[in-house]
Amino acid sequence: MKKIESSSTLGPGGLDISRAFFKPILNSAPPSPTKRHTKISVIGAGNVGMAIAQTILTQDLVDELALVDAKPEKLRGEMLDLQHAAAFLPRTKIHASVDYSITAGSDLCIVTAGARQIPGESRLNLIQRNLALFKLIIPPLARYSPDCILLIVSNPVDVLTYVAWKLSGFPPNRVIGSGTNLDSSRFRFLLADHLDVNAQDVQASLAYMVGEHGDSSVALWSSISVGGVPVLSFLERQKIAYEKETLENIRKEVVESAYEVINLKGYTSWAIGYSAANLARSLLRDQRKIHPVSVLATGLYGIDGGDVFLSLPAQLGRSGVMGVANVELTDWEAQQLRNAAATILEVQSQLEIEDH
Amino acid sequence: MKKAESSSTLGPGGLDISKAFFKPILNSAPPSPTKRHTKISVIGAGNVGMAIAQTILTQDLADELALVDAQPDKLRGEMLDLQHAAAFLPRTKIHASLDYSITAGSDLCIVTAGARQIPGESRLNLIQRNLVLFKNIIPPLAKYSPDSILLIVSNPVDALTYVAWKLSGFHPNRVIGSGTNLDSSRFRFLLADHLDVNAQDVQASLAYIVGEHGDSSVALWSSITVGGVPVLSYLDRQKIAYEKETLENIRKEVVESAYEVIDLKGYTSWAIGYSVANLARSLLRDQRRIHPVSVLATGLYGIDGGHVFLSLPAQLGRTGVMGVANVELTDYEARQLRNSATTILEAQSQLDIEDL
Repeated sequence: MKKIESSSTLGPGGLDISRAFFKPILNSAPPSPTKRHTKISVIGAGNVGMAIAQTILTQDLVDELALVDAKPEKLRGEMLDLQHAAAFLPRTKIHASVDYSITAGSDLCIVTAGARQIPGESRLNLIQRNLALFKLIIPPLARYSPDCILLIVSNPVDVLTYVAWKLSGFPPNRVIGSGTNLDSSRFRFLLADHLDVNAQDVQASLAYMVGEHGDSSVALWSSISVGGVPVLSFLERQKIAYEKETLENIRKEVVESAYEVINLKGYTSWAIGYSAANLARSLLRDQRKIHPVSVLATGLYGIDGGDVFLSLPAQLGRSGVMGVANVELTDWEAQQLRNAAATILEVQSQLEIEDH
Repeated sequence: MKKAESSSTLGPGGLDISKAFFKPILNSAPPSPTKRHTKISVIGAGNVGMAIAQTILTQDLADELALVDAQPDKLRGEMLDLQHAAAFLPRTKIHASLDYSITAGSDLCIVTAGARQIPGESRLNLIQRNLVLFKNIIPPLAKYSPDSILLIVSNPVDALTYVAWKLSGFHPNRVIGSGTNLDSSRFRFLLADHLDVNAQDVQASLAYIVGEHGDSSVALWSSITVGGVPVLSYLDRQKIAYEKETLENIRKEVVESAYEVIDLKGYTSWAIGYSVANLARSLLRDQRRIHPVSVLATGLYGIDGGHVFLSLPAQLGRTGVMGVANVELTDYEARQLRNSATTILEAQSQLDIEDL
């Protein structure tokens, strides 16, 4: 931790009494380095990055947190604001730098940095600009923490997770996009709101929003259950009429709810903060839980035509993606998934990832 | 909770199956209202208010959270962003309104709303503007939650806590200002940074920054201990030279560290969020811990001349301020405290609190 310089010489003799307040006991061994020292680096100290950092801290997920951003003053301000909470948090080393060396030895690197869409800008152009940014971010991250897991949050997340995979040279199980993990939370919230149940009881233990994070996401209605009761077959048995359009409206509402928040408060932060912290916990604590996150989907569900990342129900643990759940999809759902893959592949083919 | 309207009619027959997914068991009694239902209202959905709200949610301190602000779009956006995290949080009712009726039945009302200082504006003018704002905020809060505790965060906190007390008509044990609770955290951080210990081990179980939250705060050096060892007497015994100026520099650094964060990132949020959540926990969970917070100080430590709120080490529990710790101050420290009181009283005397 960078020592505050103005106090490091406290008076003429300094106040260097670090070792004076505590006496070691007889024949003590020197402090043994703890084997379990968890370090997370967050790249991007904007609203999203800071919400993620703060939630991770509050949930006591790490021993060390490193922040990186291109703006040194903003970065230092955010670091100090977190450090000032020291008396209220477990002892966590919090430091920040514009230099990536500070991320060395991370177990998990979370990338939130990204250009925002300029009004009228094409999606491809936005991706191209973010590709240029990722070329500055991903290679040093990979170099300083060659064994870490990369978690990409920046949008468009599926394409950028592919980019991160290519630029890092990591095996695909260690490169994950936050994908539809949050969409699924919003979906559960909407359903729970109507069914008057706890959102966590709206089981989507397999997944229900998959595919591309965004407009063409796929809601796996066939997999959703409430309290263990599959929703669709329940409705059919009860002969409760519903129309596919109705379900599609709910899915659209999930997609639009992100835009709604952005229109109202200018950006989203809290929900993605919780979502990313939730993923961090499953990964670093080896929880082996299943999350809908953006993973290498090539070869699954008939997805071919090239390497593509999109959200599928993936089991996450300390080694990253352990596997993808073998969900049974309806023909229609599988087709939607392949359409999502085709859309993403088309965009990717127009990118210039020169190093590969 | 305001239901998302576009989904409330799901298809021709609606999807009103709330009661269909769960069957009650034989002869069930109707749900009994839980006696322990904790509600917190946060007034002001800006950076400070939202950091407080989010920390309270993450730490699972409330069953119900109400947000109030004057800007409806921002308010709704912030509410939605928190609601979207539903799958990652325990079931908490989160709602928001411009109307104070939404705060009814709160156990704790946290006021963060406040005008920011315009460059060149006098402190008195700032207080006067905030007084006008508080006349719109405090009376309805008190009306809708006559038994709640009021926790004032808005600055200048000591004068505004006095204002809130006057406008609410509450007993003084139920009106508290966040005061120097955070300054103390920053102080611990600075000391711990130099002593290479955990900030929580820099014991200030009595308090060490008291008085006015701001430039004229008082550091109670005589009360600070590290691992149980009183700092000053330790230095004396070890004949380690220190100068009063040195200690004063550390105190100043604490005062300036807030300004530093504001200069760097534009505002502070995270640290005050943790600080207030920490106070909320002590109050609502009846922890009876001692915190340096802004309380009615009249009659203590020779403080007279009028009613004044300033930070003293106060024991906090479910009833609010249970008492003020009887710390032994040096003559110098007691005098500093009285000077603090005089400064605040002077500003207060120039206020037009017409209703009082």
